[in-house]
Amino acid sequence: MPPFGGSVPPSYGSNNSNSSESNIVTVDVGGQLFQTTKQTLALAGPDSLFARVSDPPPPPLSSSVPFVDRDPELFSVLLSLLRTGNLPSKARAFDIQDLIFESRFYGVESLLINSVSNPSQFEAFNLERSEILPMNGRDSPSAIATTPFGSVHVAHGSKITSFDWSLRKKRTILTQFAAVDSMLAISPSVVAAGATDFSGLQILDLERGSVKETLNWENVTRSSSTVQAIGSNQEALFVSFESGRRNSNSIMVYDLHSLRPVTEIGHSEIYGAEINSAIPATKLNWLSGNSLLMASGSHSGPSGVLGNIKFWDVRSGNVVWELKENVDCFSDVTVSDNLSSMFKVGVNSGEVFFADLRNLGAENPWVCLGDGRRALNGKKEGVGCKIESHGSQVFCSKGGDIELWSEVAMGSVKNSEDGLEERVFRKNLMGKVKDVGGAKITNLAFGGNKMFVTRKDQQSVEVWQGSTRGF
Amino acid sequence: MADPNPQAASSTNSHPNDRVKLNVGGKLFETTVSTLRSGGPDSLLSALSHRPSGDPNPVFIDRDPEIFSVLLSLLRSNRLPSTSRRFSKQELADEALYYGIESRLKSASSPPPLSGIDVSVVATIRPASDGFASAFTAGDGDGSVWIAHGGQISSYDWNLIHTGTVRTHLEEINSICRVYSEIAALGSDSAAGLHFYDFSGNRNVGSVHWRDPSDPRIFKARVSAIADSTDSVFAAFHCPHKENSVLVVDKSTLQIQSELGRYTGGSAKNLVPGKLAWLPETGLLVGSSITCGAFGFSGYIRLWDPRSGQVVWETNEPGSGRSRRFGDPFADVAVDAEESMIFKVCSQSGDLGMADLRNLGDDPWVYLEENNPSLSITGGVGKYCAIHCYRRQVFVGRDGSLEVWSRGANGRSESEKENGVCEGLYRRNFVDKLEDSERGIIEKIEGGGDRLFVCRRGSEGIEVWESSNSSTVVSVL
Repeated sequence: MPPFGGSVPPSYGSNNSNSSESNIVTVDVGGQLFQTTKQTLALAGPDSLFARVSDPPPPPLSSSVPFVDRDPELFSVLLSLLRTGNLPSKARAFDIQDLIFESRFYGVESLLINSVSNPSQFEAFNLERSEILPMNGRDSPSAIATTPFGSVHVAHGSKITSFDWSLRKKRTILTQFAAVDSMLAISPSVVAAGATDFSGLQILDLERGSVKETLNWENVTRSSSTVQAIGSNQEALFVSFESGRRNSNSIMVYDLHSLRPVTEIGHSEIYGAEINSAIPATKLNWLSGNSLLMASGSHSGPSGVLGNIKFWDVRSGNVVWELKENVDCFSDVTVSDNLSSMFKVGVNSGEVFFADLRNLGAENPWVCLGDGRRALNGKKEGVGCKIESHGSQVFCSKGGDIELWSEVAMGSVKNSEDGLEERVFRKNLMGKVKDVGGAKITNLAFGGNKMFVTRKDQQSVEVWQGSTRGF
Repeated sequence: MADPNPQAASSTNSHPNDRVKLNVGGKLFETTVSTLRSGGPDSLLSALSHRPSGDPNPVFIDRDPEIFSVLLSLLRSNRLPSTSRRFSKQELADEALYYGIESRLKSASSPPPLSGIDVSVVATIRPASDGFASAFTAGDGDGSVWIAHGGQISSYDWNLIHTGTVRTHLEEINSICRVYSEIAALGSDSAAGLHFYDFSGNRNVGSVHWRDPSDPRIFKARVSAIADSTDSVFAAFHCPHKENSVLVVDKSTLQIQSELGRYTGGSAKNLVPGKLAWLPETGLLVGSSITCGAFGFSGYIRLWDPRSGQVVWETNEPGSGRSRRFGDPFADVAVDAEESMIFKVCSQSGDLGMADLRNLGDDPWVYLEENNPSLSITGGVGKYCAIHCYRRQVFVGRDGSLEVWSRGANGRSESEKENGVCEGLYRRNFVDKLEDSERGIIEKIEGGGDRLFVCRRGSEGIEVWESSNSSTVVSVL
């Protein structure tokens, strides 16, 4: 549009509307004329300003083109977004904050989020360490929680800093915790947070910085109930509680929306020397393919690390399958729906193991994906390793490095003894040479098209994302 | 050219939704009357909006179109677009002043409410010469600051742009108070008297000396602390032989009105106050003096009622054995005028003590302690402490490190406040990082305009800390 857009005769728009039932809509934004179709504007949704513009005004006023008193250049970017679903390259001339603010004015922010931070754009093999989000103060992150579209909440010390999906806006609130040990995002502005030294699970409103609700588990000894792990599925919130005297533990199931308790599973009290019942679950993963809740916990004792992994049917409250770990117990464990497998890092060997979920009846379902003999050397190579699955890949941190495990689809299927085809997993070390060997990784999380990494004693969060999709 | 709106052209009263065309430096802009008027009724743009709207010829303004487009975005959306970064703060401020929309620029570019748990250093103001600040004041509350350095006062406006420097006759300025928007009251450790300097006239407009013909010990009295109320200036004077008093000076006539007590200065309990604070709500003046000797800290806090000239309340530390914290005297004291609270930082334990000014007694202190063992405070003699209250938070500098005691927004805070139990509500966090604390001992902290100004010993200039809603993403690709 020439700079003298205003000199175009205003009858231009009315000509078009007169020429029968044309689909073409003309709109004047800040002095520049734009033309598009009703179909394109309809993509913005009925509540947006675009939809209102596309409705022709009543006859007495229809002589002039609708006028919107906003910046024309930002409008042209958002119009391109409507037309193609993608941001044009000229959008890079602006800050993403400008676009967010403008898209809110027009009511099309969801389209912008979809084009920039969509979980379907996550490309595991294309992740690069691209950005650092620094935290103020001296506390390093203890827990992070993400939402599907890439906003991230970071607990550091007694504070929680939350970043919006563009990671350009932040807000920090003060909590009652000395440090948050587990956190789960319920919505972009609400998190559930708990600590192993503080009684009760708190539902925190991050916008207002207030406690919406505190959920407590009534244990037999009437002592405090500390939070060991939080998990969720579409409807329910799972919380693993341990009593303050550490003699009983339980997993409570709450309704995710009303936060009313639904049921209690896996309640155990300690009597005698049965060590296994004393281990609270420290990780809760929902397996939607099988509708099971994976709960795992471990305990380090004089005879080494002991642990158990239980799969709960939440409706019936029964353990469907349980695995006791004593030889090379997991240091961390995760389940993958897409791969229909369970993965662990052995605490002694530091190697990744996988177990096919179809093969859970076997005596030892674990298949070592590395050198299994290392389990016997008694060293604790795997202490502090984290393993998480996202999409069809498994991410395992070892010290300061991240291994990316993926399954190779083989043409010729070779059956192993148990009748299942042998599966091939291969690993890659993530990042460039300069990224390797940082401080020990303490958290891995995924949201939008990004991976978030926190490291020991670093007051920041690392963002890994695909190079092509960066704004 | 066709008339876009023939109906409106006939009426002189333009409608807020009427469109206005502007030609700024050859570039055409189109906006509405209401947008132009949003800058305030006295602005140039508002005046332009009163032209008959039917005029097909755009109004021509001979200014830069690029900056205008930034300012138009500001008027439309109430935020500065990213294109504003192409221009300096000075350019934007000048141009906004030209169009008369400075207040809009100010509100859009001023920092969000200061939250001590999430602040960072945004700038260090370094005066061009004699950069070691001997005193400073952020008294106007709009984020501007006046810095005294090497006998000069430099003024920095809300944008932190240098707006002027006045050379005074003093060799060193040790206390400064902004008594009017353009007038500073100054005191020095090396020269007698309270001096008033005017920024607009660049000159001394008056001096006040404490003299008493009947008492030969009152001579060459120097000023160690200054505070002001709406109509008076309070200055703590002390003589070479330690006689001291707080004088009340009338703000308009610059004449001494009264003397609040006269002390010999013979012991720590009656030395000259090193800090004065005015409490507008109750009309009381708070003075405090702290000295550090071989046996630790000692000092007093004293409340005067300037109307009667009487001491309303007083506490000395180390006091009598009545105090719960005998042997743990304060190392610094600050007054929160908004909340009517006094805060002190204990020299031995490092704990924070607070007292409600509405409920003072023999031992009014409530002590806030650090419960988290990993953050435990190392106190002790020789630690330099500075304390300041701002926006319902307490900032404490211990040697080089800066911490904040703040209250989380919990639903129950109101009821607990009524019961007088608020210990658990305050939580301590470090404001700075470890490397920040190595820049030098924090001498003074002051808040103003949602900024925190920090002055360090042996370090040039003044640090400016601000909260921000935008994250500082660092690209590492």
